[in-house]
Amino acid sequence: MERTLSWLGWVAAAAILSLSAAAGAATHDLSIGRIPVDFSGAPATAIGVNGTVPGPVLRFKEGEELVINVTNTLDEDTSIHWHGLILPFRQDGVPGISFDGIKPGATHTYRFPAQQSGTYWYHSHSGLQEQEGVYGAIVIEPKAREPFRFDREHVVILSDWQDTSPKQILANLKKQSDYYNYSQRTVGDFFSDIAAKGLAATLEDRKMWGEMRMTPTDIADVSGYTFLVNGQNPDRNWTGLFAPGERVRLRFVNASAMTYFDVRIPGLRMTVVQADGNNVQPVTVDEFRMAVAETYDVIVRPMEDRAYTLVAEPMARTGMARATLAPREGMSAAVPAPRERPLLSMSDMGMAHEGMDHGATKEMDHGAMKGMDHGAMGDAKSDPFYAPGSGLLPKAADGGKFLSYADLKAQTPLYPQREPTREIELRLTGNMERYFWSINDRKYSEAEPIRLKYGERVRFKFVNETMMAHPMHLHGMWTILDNGSGRWNPAKHTVSIAPGATVYTETEVDAPGEWAFHCHLMYHMATGMFRKVIVEGAPQAARLGQGG
Amino acid sequence: MKAIPGFRLVHRAVLSASLTLALAAGAQAAESHGHGHAPDIGKPGQAAEASRTVTVTVTDNRFAPERIAVKKGETVRFVVKNEGKFVHEFNIGTAAMHARHQKDMAMMVEHGVLEADKIHRDKMKMDMGGGHRMDHDDPNSVLLEPGKSAELVWTFATDARLEFACNMPGHYESGMTGDITIGK
Repeated sequence: MERTLSWLGWVAAAAILSLSAAAGAATHDLSIGRIPVDFSGAPATAIGVNGTVPGPVLRFKEGEELVINVTNTLDEDTSIHWHGLILPFRQDGVPGISFDGIKPGATHTYRFPAQQSGTYWYHSHSGLQEQEGVYGAIVIEPKAREPFRFDREHVVILSDWQDTSPKQILANLKKQSDYYNYSQRTVGDFFSDIAAKGLAATLEDRKMWGEMRMTPTDIADVSGYTFLVNGQNPDRNWTGLFAPGERVRLRFVNASAMTYFDVRIPGLRMTVVQADGNNVQPVTVDEFRMAVAETYDVIVRPMEDRAYTLVAEPMARTGMARATLAPREGMSAAVPAPRERPLLSMSDMGMAHEGMDHGATKEMDHGAMKGMDHGAMGDAKSDPFYAPGSGLLPKAADGGKFLSYADLKAQTPLYPQREPTREIELRLTGNMERYFWSINDRKYSEAEPIRLKYGERVRFKFVNETMMAHPMHLHGMWTILDNGSGRWNPAKHTVSIAPGATVYTETEVDAPGEWAFHCHLMYHMATGMFRKVIVEGAPQAARLGQGG
Repeated sequence: MKAIPGFRLVHRAVLSASLTLALAAGAQAAESHGHGHAPDIGKPGQAAEASRTVTVTVTDNRFAPERIAVKKGETVRFVVKNEGKFVHEFNIGTAAMHARHQKDMAMMVEHGVLEADKIHRDKMKMDMGGGHRMDHDDPNSVLLEPGKSAELVWTFATDARLEFACNMPGHYESGMTGDITIGK
């Protein structure tokens, strides 16, 4: 009798222990450290998470309390930022704003509840580590059923890799702003130019283009990348399996440092069901463009028992990321030839100099989009988010429909529609010659923080005065893109502003604390296209949620 | 038969016996839209002959139930209720018919006849040419605004592989469809 009772006692204790462990907390352990890699065909060193680039897919459940231990085995500080997640600001992972970073040898524990569902991603917010491989996907399973169904899913992470260290890339850009641009010249071409024309002539030539702040081919300021799909280059050919007739959900993440990808699957249309983690009214397209840091979830239904090639072609056409969807391993389909490099047009040029005709760019006032006949927005020859006649206007490679921001409409709006309380103008500016990028002509170190009042609805007017597209990302709060859809304006975390374009977004200021707000092109962020946002005036109850 | 305001489209399909013959031919023509010979998918039925009633609850973007089993020759009365916030269709046909109908409905959206959550019946009179009609009065389907209901009675005198589906843009691709299995 006594033995039975004590046995029961152990059972009861074990039950109590497992109950408390199951009381909503899920623990994840990440370790950041240097690893040998071979992405370009030559051995190199990257920084991986748990030994891989990309790091592991983190799977959370909406509503659960998360405990994430991050260990730093590098000899420099590191951090992890949870891109697109709504959480207390001290858990946001931005050194100098949320916390002091994770010191070498230390383990930092993040604690926050998963308050949303969908596809997101994580990456380092320290130095240039994002380019070195510190990124991975986040999949948050929803509590409620999603407004679409599928038979299987694949995470598809697009990224860019260079064997040259990011510090060296930045030094090259600072030394010679179009180092990587002029007809995609390599280091070898630069030196042969000097040999042929002399250093002065070569630099003068570059400077002339630099003063105009453009060459027609200045689409991307860094080239020479190898492009990866789930960490595999085109030869390694990452393959996602399907059974013919299945609906397959593809969770696309653009985890690159600097690359906009145009994504298509020849032979398969794609139905977009989520953008930046939020459900959108489903729209079927043949191709879509992903700005750096964006995510898109699409449903495809391959009917044939054959391989399909997944093509992610950089907007600047500097190479190609390639993968395969197939019924079995080891299959491949035809890989299309890369497309012609687009040329920027006059309307893409920045408004840098007085006396220039700014008429074309001023026509992009999206305030006028309210009340527009939405039928007219299906015109394949224009996209309201690009300057009229823009050289970057996307065109579907094989004909058909190319997704526009105008096509994104919230399936279930996160916030009721209301008038904004004020408008803040942010001019996207920069100095290509000295390679620094800025907002309102001020880089981060020279600028005051943007102060927002808790409870207001602020309207941001982005005016792009440069000739590059910038994916603008506000941490901690949703960016509601005004695409003329009224209450169905989609909530995103990253919004791309095309050259010469003006774009309006709105944010319900409901997250107390301090938040980063920056261009997500890594070298732009690093050279000043960044602001701190301070949310003031939150009531005590709201601030109690800050935790950590 | 209950009068469902605004649904004269469905009324025409189910009301009078004298229309049945014309509509049986119409069931074939309804799919063809001038595209040629259509598969036999059954025909509109009489509510009085229905062996049972199946309530189909429509949400965004899903049907409940997700599959329906019928006997060959059986007449089933479907009561379709749209409990979602968007316009949905309940359409009985083959996968190929649905694919064609998706193109028609995409055109209706492009021309403003249909919005994601509204049906503009006045615009349905438009003839866009090329054999494409902008109306939506096929007896094998109902089109519902949020909160609305309609009935559809169908006799499954067919061996065809049928699905029920919503052909609003993106809905079928999102999985808004279900199998109809026809047993003996």
